[in-house]
Amino acid sequence: MRPWRGPPDCVLAVRKQHLRALPALWRAVFACVLMTAPVQVPLAPDAPWVVLKFGGTSVASVKCWRTILALASRRREEGMRVLVVVSALAGVTDALKALCAYAPAARADALAEIVARHRQLAADMRLARLPLLEQWIASLQALVAGAVPERLAWRAAVQGHGELLSSALGAAFMSANGLPTRWLDARDALQARELPFLNQRARALSAQVQAEPDPAWAARLAGTGEVFITQGFIARNANGDTVLLGRGGSDTSAAYMGARLRAARVEIWTDVAGMFTADPRQVPGARLLQRLDYDEAQEIATTGAKVLHARCISPCRRTRVPLWIKDTRFPDLAGTVIAPQPPEAVPSVKAISSRRGITLVSMETSGMWQQVGFLADVFALFKKHGLSVDLIGSAETNVTVSLDPSENLLDSDVVAALASDLAQVCRVKVIAPCAAVTLAGRGMRAMLHRLAGVMAEFGQMRVHLISQSSNNLNLTFVVDEAKLDGLLPRLHELLIRAGALRTDDSALFGPSWQTLYGGTAARAEAPWWRTGRTRLLELATATPRYVYHLPTMRARAQRLRALQAVDRVYYAVKANSHPAILRALAGAGLGFECVSPGELDAVDAIAEARSAPHLFTPNFAPRTDYAQALQRGVLLTLDALHPLQHWPELFADREVLLRVDLGHGYGHHAKVRTGGAASKFGLPLEQLDVCLELARANRVRVVGLHAHLGSGVLDATHWAAVCNQLASLADRVGGVRILNLGGGLGVPSHPGEAALDLGVLDAALLEVKRAYPQYELWLEPGRWLVADGGVLLAHVTQAKRKGGRDYLGCDAGMHVLIRPALYDAWHEIVNLSRLDVPADVLYQVVGPICESGDVLGADRHLPRGEEGDVLLIAQAGAYGESMASHYNLRPLAESAVIDA
Amino acid sequence: MNAIADPRRARVFRFVRCTCVRGDAELVYAFDGGPELIERIHFPAAPALPAARRLAFNAALRWLHLVAGISYFKAGIPPCIEVEPGALDGATADLLDDLYLNGLGEFAYRNGVELRGRIAFPRAVARQSEPVSRALDLPRRVLVPIGGGKDSLVVAEALKSIGAAATAAWVGASPLIAAVAARTGLPTLNIGRELSPTLFEYNRMGAWNGHIPVTAINSALLVCAAILYGFDAVAFANERSASAATLEYAGRAVNHQWSKGWAFEQAFAGWVRSHVGADLDYFSLLRRCSELAVTRAFARTGTAYFDVFSSCNRNFKLLGPKPVDRWCGHCPKCHFVFLALAPFLPKPRLLQIFGRNLLDDETQAAGFDALIEYHEHKPFECVGEASEARAALAALAARPEWREDALVARFHELIQPQLPAAGLVLDAWLVAGGAHGVPARFAGAMDAVCRA
Repeated sequence: MRPWRGPPDCVLAVRKQHLRALPALWRAVFACVLMTAPVQVPLAPDAPWVVLKFGGTSVASVKCWRTILALASRRREEGMRVLVVVSALAGVTDALKALCAYAPAARADALAEIVARHRQLAADMRLARLPLLEQWIASLQALVAGAVPERLAWRAAVQGHGELLSSALGAAFMSANGLPTRWLDARDALQARELPFLNQRARALSAQVQAEPDPAWAARLAGTGEVFITQGFIARNANGDTVLLGRGGSDTSAAYMGARLRAARVEIWTDVAGMFTADPRQVPGARLLQRLDYDEAQEIATTGAKVLHARCISPCRRTRVPLWIKDTRFPDLAGTVIAPQPPEAVPSVKAISSRRGITLVSMETSGMWQQVGFLADVFALFKKHGLSVDLIGSAETNVTVSLDPSENLLDSDVVAALASDLAQVCRVKVIAPCAAVTLAGRGMRAMLHRLAGVMAEFGQMRVHLISQSSNNLNLTFVVDEAKLDGLLPRLHELLIRAGALRTDDSALFGPSWQTLYGGTAARAEAPWWRTGRTRLLELATATPRYVYHLPTMRARAQRLRALQAVDRVYYAVKANSHPAILRALAGAGLGFECVSPGELDAVDAIAEARSAPHLFTPNFAPRTDYAQALQRGVLLTLDALHPLQHWPELFADREVLLRVDLGHGYGHHAKVRTGGAASKFGLPLEQLDVCLELARANRVRVVGLHAHLGSGVLDATHWAAVCNQLASLADRVGGVRILNLGGGLGVPSHPGEAALDLGVLDAALLEVKRAYPQYELWLEPGRWLVADGGVLLAHVTQAKRKGGRDYLGCDAGMHVLIRPALYDAWHEIVNLSRLDVPADVLYQVVGPICESGDVLGADRHLPRGEEGDVLLIAQAGAYGESMASHYNLRPLAESAVIDA
Repeated sequence: MNAIADPRRARVFRFVRCTCVRGDAELVYAFDGGPELIERIHFPAAPALPAARRLAFNAALRWLHLVAGISYFKAGIPPCIEVEPGALDGATADLLDDLYLNGLGEFAYRNGVELRGRIAFPRAVARQSEPVSRALDLPRRVLVPIGGGKDSLVVAEALKSIGAAATAAWVGASPLIAAVAARTGLPTLNIGRELSPTLFEYNRMGAWNGHIPVTAINSALLVCAAILYGFDAVAFANERSASAATLEYAGRAVNHQWSKGWAFEQAFAGWVRSHVGADLDYFSLLRRCSELAVTRAFARTGTAYFDVFSSCNRNFKLLGPKPVDRWCGHCPKCHFVFLALAPFLPKPRLLQIFGRNLLDDETQAAGFDALIEYHEHKPFECVGEASEARAALAALAARPEWREDALVARFHELIQPQLPAAGLVLDAWLVAGGAHGVPARFAGAMDAVCRA
């Protein structure tokens, strides 16, 4: 036995450890040697079955088939009997479907094209004699020649040929390349059920199969070979006709086969690693779901995830066959495993999804709810108009139901007709367009208390309906569709911050989509303090103490100055007014945005900063503040009518900016959202004309528009959207030359969170700027510039164990750093004295203030700490020292500066 | 370069010169001896001009120069106008006086400026015989200006329905209009227009700013294009209500869309025939239709445009996939188009187009009130007559799928009882009527709109 041909486990071990580390070429050679090995250790008669399913794009080329061969070989090597289930080559099912609808003359051409495509692939595979392929080509030709397009059975038979052809090719290719593979007709194994509720069309084109485990059949099959290939999508009915399994049919076939064989597992091989916590196109930070139970998977597949068709879960659930989703490009990545799960200690939201285009019908009546049969009558009307109801919400006098989007709804008068009928029995209101946002995960009701942030987000919009099923798997909110933009990424982030989506559980949640597929652009840099431990420990002689690293802050300033689209950057002084920081940022060429005379004083106390541009942007400030700023010649921003109505003489012949409220807010917490009706900032759009009129009448020149929607925004296209809105407004105002897009540039704090991509931000802004070249663009970030450049050092004061929890107390509390208490902000905390010790204690890190809310970090894994250890609280450069207080009459924290 | 002085202190506005070389035109203006304001027009892939059309083109270009000057003139409104290549004939000067006075009516109202006495185009002292143009034998093709909104699309579809050789034309760089024009499936012509950057400088200095009669400028541009590329017709999409005044100010009717009105169409079409080409037709195909009739036609023939068109007046220059990228939802145009389409489209479809339901949003009450002239005067936008808006609301109030929506219910309970029922009949608005200037060869297209 050659060394690489050891027992299967051993081979696997070698490959798992080394395959990824090998250069690509050697990996390929190694894999080829393995797959073409002529000798196989025969399988035991009771060897477990595994079903591998490959979709249309995974079978369309020779390269794809090499992957299939390698994966099937590997499973065989692992001692499993393999059944490969394949779809038709990508596009062939659609072509066959189209062919069925063509006129007879056009059918011949379409058929010739389909045949040619398969023969070409056979040639690419260097396969000469293919009796089975030719047999199915002939069979298809005969069907097309004797076409009876009106017969559903004929259409099903034609459309089912794509899989017959692809599986015939696959059997030949795998057998010719060292893996003897038997071709199996799926129709012999899968018998469609005659279900009374299915119409003829559904029976022929989206049939269902009763897939009970059949040990006798499995044993018979095992007697005939070790590796098999069969077709997805097709089955046979009692008459012997071919029937189809509908959309996602190949996944369903694989699940049926897995159930019938009682396989060790069914593996769905595709081009993504599995199900994610959200649609990655909307939420690039969505995390891979590594473990789900069947019900959760079903819920997520039904409400949003496209990777798996919901229908394929139930055959596996019934027989408790695990279902794996795997990425052909990353075969060693765990993917998603759907299997019976042990009851979890901690429930977690698993996924969030949305569906658009929903129409609600709200029915209101006072007198009739007690009447027997009222609901039956109402629902009969929906049935009469062919409308199927999805979600239902009810109250004493109201029932509201949702209708899923359909062409019928959009293009016919069905809604008008339904409303007319319903109006006979109740008051009816048609609400659209709506979107349903669903949180899915087992034990949803146990998590309600953690959803305060989510509820606050929904509190900003009209929620028309909330639905929570009794199986405790989901929570659905139906809102106006217009509110959906950017909502999912925000909710995803809120769920993580609230500890409702427990991404800290690495067994459950895998890498983010961005990490897997998004390239390296957005990866966060390593913080400066990782390499400066000795220096920091020296500085920790007096604590609590803030330490600021000026090079980090200067580098941030340079990155913003390098943005091509942005003409001027103002530092929001409120984030941190430490003189050394103001000096450093003035040196980096930034201007200063102040919100009080005190901040103006702080800036003007620094020689380097005094000559930099200033901007005064107060909110509900007294008249004297404005007068003072004007006296200093500072450009100011108005955000209400009041100053122009009551103190117009102050602003006559002056230039001002107007801060407008674009009607919605963003941010990681309700307290940092500064746009939208619920925030006190900005001039509402409906008052803009009045304001401009006042300005005109008082010779006040509005030279700029400003909007700042909130803080902690990580979506890099947000500022371009704001810019586009401001520009389209400014064109109507006239005389505007400046668009101030505010700040709010987010700083990622949670592990796995991706940094804001400034390249994307710049590119998106440049696009807007090309359309509106006449405007200068300004930004005014605070936290993004200085947060990462500062840390807070503290000494451990006491440790305590109470109620099964470990508390680690330190001398820095909410009086020093209030963000965790005020915003639920998450700051990384490390024990600087024990950096190399395993972090195996779950701590509540708390301060010395007499408040229950004095918690710097909840549920943190740290090494066991002792009195006198030095803790480092990261990202404390912004809104730390500047928001500190003397509460409990404790002194303010000290600060130190590192500048080299 | 001369130093920039405040144009509001200028004494004279000068039409300096206009030239056109290989499709690139320069229209040059100045205040007093200030810097030259150069507006650039680009006629793409301009063909060589046949000698027979040269005089006509020069006349059209000169008119364009005179009309486009309104953007710059309004920055200063000086008391005197000078036209440097020489004085104008009486008819031309009269039409320009009219256009400047009426076209800047809203501008004058908004800025509180008195225009009278400041607009007098110089006319030849000696009684100059007015030029008499000849037939140009232009090819039988029609230019359809596309604005991105529903009206011009109704015209494009109507012209397609009679098999007319139409070309979709638009002015300036707008991805939205480009996308809409492409959707027509017609050949396209995009004329470039670049305002003088000095105007932005003036605006920053606080120059007068406001509404100008842009349809008059576009009309002039398209007439130039018709001669240059060879079209014998320019078919605009201005409907009946465009002739209605928005309000009275200082004893004069102020109409936001004066250059879209019948008076201007008639006068300009006549001027084109007499001064440019006797066989060049300038007209509006929709002149006999109400807004509601046009909207109904669009609901039926415009389905292909539902996900690209926009009539919103917020200046959306970037194309986004979402309804909010095309419809601001707050301006009178959004309000009116939403309301006017509602009686003619399935409700879910209309809401899909706009991405929200403006009639179920209490905060929009003031906007819709202005539309129906309840408490407020008519908004300064190109929107239908108040009676049309009322009729549309009354129609919705009778429909079960609409009548519970906040603003429909409010209209039904609060406003409708105060209105005479006779004025609220929707069908009355769907009957075509009134004067028009549509040539006989396009009568079929006009009927197609009314029938739709």
